[in-house]
Amino acid sequence: MKLPPVRVLLVEDNEHDVRLLRELLRNEHGPSVHITQIDRMSNIASHLAAGETDVVLLDLGLPDAQGPEAVRQAHAVAPTVPIVIMTGLDDESLATQVLKEGAQDYLVKGQLDAAGLMRAIRHAIRRQRTQVEADVIRGLQLQLRDEFLSDVSHELRSPLTAIYQFVTILADDLSGPTTPAQQEHLDIILRNVEQLRGMIDDILDAGRAEGGRLSVAPECTSLADVIGYTATTLQGAARDKHITLSFDVPSDLPTAYADPKRLRQVLIILLDNAIKFTPANGVVMIRTCVHPIDPRMLLVEVEDSGCGIALDSTEKIFDRLYRVASTSDEGRRGLGLGLFICRELVTQQGGRIWVTSDPGKGSVFSFTLPRFSLTRMITPMLQGSHAPVALVSVAIDSERGTVVDETWQHWTRETRAAVRSCLSVDAELLLPEMGAAQRNECAFVLTTAVDGEMDALSARIRSELDGLDPLRKAGLSCSVSASVLDLGEAADGASNDERIESVSQRITERIAVGIQRSRPS
Amino acid sequence: MKKKKILVIDDDPTIRQGYQIRLKANGYDPYFAVDAISGFTEARRQMPDLIILDLGLPAGDGFLVMERLKAATYLALIPVLVVSARDRLATKQKAIKAGATAFLQKPVDNAVLLAYIRKILDEPVVEKVALG
Repeated sequence: MKLPPVRVLLVEDNEHDVRLLRELLRNEHGPSVHITQIDRMSNIASHLAAGETDVVLLDLGLPDAQGPEAVRQAHAVAPTVPIVIMTGLDDESLATQVLKEGAQDYLVKGQLDAAGLMRAIRHAIRRQRTQVEADVIRGLQLQLRDEFLSDVSHELRSPLTAIYQFVTILADDLSGPTTPAQQEHLDIILRNVEQLRGMIDDILDAGRAEGGRLSVAPECTSLADVIGYTATTLQGAARDKHITLSFDVPSDLPTAYADPKRLRQVLIILLDNAIKFTPANGVVMIRTCVHPIDPRMLLVEVEDSGCGIALDSTEKIFDRLYRVASTSDEGRRGLGLGLFICRELVTQQGGRIWVTSDPGKGSVFSFTLPRFSLTRMITPMLQGSHAPVALVSVAIDSERGTVVDETWQHWTRETRAAVRSCLSVDAELLLPEMGAAQRNECAFVLTTAVDGEMDALSARIRSELDGLDPLRKAGLSCSVSASVLDLGEAADGASNDERIESVSQRITERIAVGIQRSRPS
Repeated sequence: MKKKKILVIDDDPTIRQGYQIRLKANGYDPYFAVDAISGFTEARRQMPDLIILDLGLPAGDGFLVMERLKAATYLALIPVLVVSARDRLATKQKAIKAGATAFLQKPVDNAVLLAYIRKILDEPVVEKVALG
């Protein structure tokens, strides 16, 4: 069989080597090889762009690119063209490195005859082609599956909406009074609607996790709030099974750098599982602490007195679609996606998740999250400056009764956006939300307290918020207050780091006071 | 006080009926349209205070409705609450960019839906609603 000529781009600056190689290939394979030669990496892009290269033979000692870096550059220009290294160095570790960078083969000059070289070149081309095809197919498959999952969830949500609408119409007595027994039955339907809705979201999230496309937006997050919220959400399910669901979050627990929505999702999955696998009159407990070994992390544990997990399952349990063989009806419920999503979400937030279990007695699911570091955040602003600093706080107050959470969150966002628009970059810093929805202090700005800057900033914020008409119409008002942070001994003579640490502490104390004061009893 | 008019554009008759009962029970005056074209016509005829818009519609989708609303000076200011079964992540920003005031994913909690309606219609809320 006659093969088409192979178009070789030879990147080699040593005239002698070029001549040798040309001889070698021409003598035995004259018509089947076409060689173009360049002597600089800087010329490679224009040659490859023409798309007329089947394989690159690359020297690793070019004047403008050497070693693995040369491979990286060539590979970046045309990732689909196979690269075969031709070098004088017989070095195993270098060979490993360049293969990792994307080269197909590593040949040592002078060790190959013409036939061997041709074989290596043809193999490299074939391997590269297979890889590229496999990548394309995988990309297409992922895309098709995404579209399919998205369509399926869409189709499932529509009838679910109708079910939800009419169950709640019945439950709210909008089509006539219901008996207590009927109410109870409608509650059962509603709980199952909720479960179905959760499953649809899980299917989509699991698909995204596999493609590495789960979105996570970490911020300064209070674990107490997130845990309190999820525990309240699942208290009903626990009570139905006579399970005691409790949590312990130390009042001085530092905040986490995590996505509160995703963290809620993780906790709901873990608590839901714990309740599911714990028999009546059992106990489910959430504990948190600073990680005893790595103080930069926080540790969250969900402990249950359930059936436990066999030792050989404790790793596999986080795999996609893995389900523990279970004798209970409840245990078989679900898709086997929850813990997989948990692992992906925790990992993406910089943590780790694992389980320890005592079969028959219960399990402890543990995960870690990085601590939020205010110090790290304020350092760029305070570095090298010894001016006194002040904290300006903005609070929303309600004039008429209580406000729905959604509205509250909406106005917190609006207010923070308005405050942000008043700040001068680098000189003033809007601190991240501390995750407490109930808190009425919705924004804190760190600024310097010299030359009336603090008062000027407060005035700017006040006038900006006065312009937020809809806020007033919603029965809300804003107040702005400012206070200079008392750094005590750290004000003078202390090192920059000590001073920044001290500012960070004062801010934390000040914000904590605000949280405690406004937390509903 | 005059009841606020809400125009619901959704092609699913069951879901429209659900909206009708729920919205009436909460003191609103609901109107309905089944596709993009009648949705736009109905918006012009009723001049509603708020439009609840589904995205997957026959005869042009919800984005077309928003495009036409935004192009008509006298309709451009009517707030649009998109309530769709489409994936939140993929759709929310797109809808808001197209002029929606907010995006909610079906099935949406009644409490959340009503809180959004009140918020958009700028009605003060006095009662604390539990949002699930």
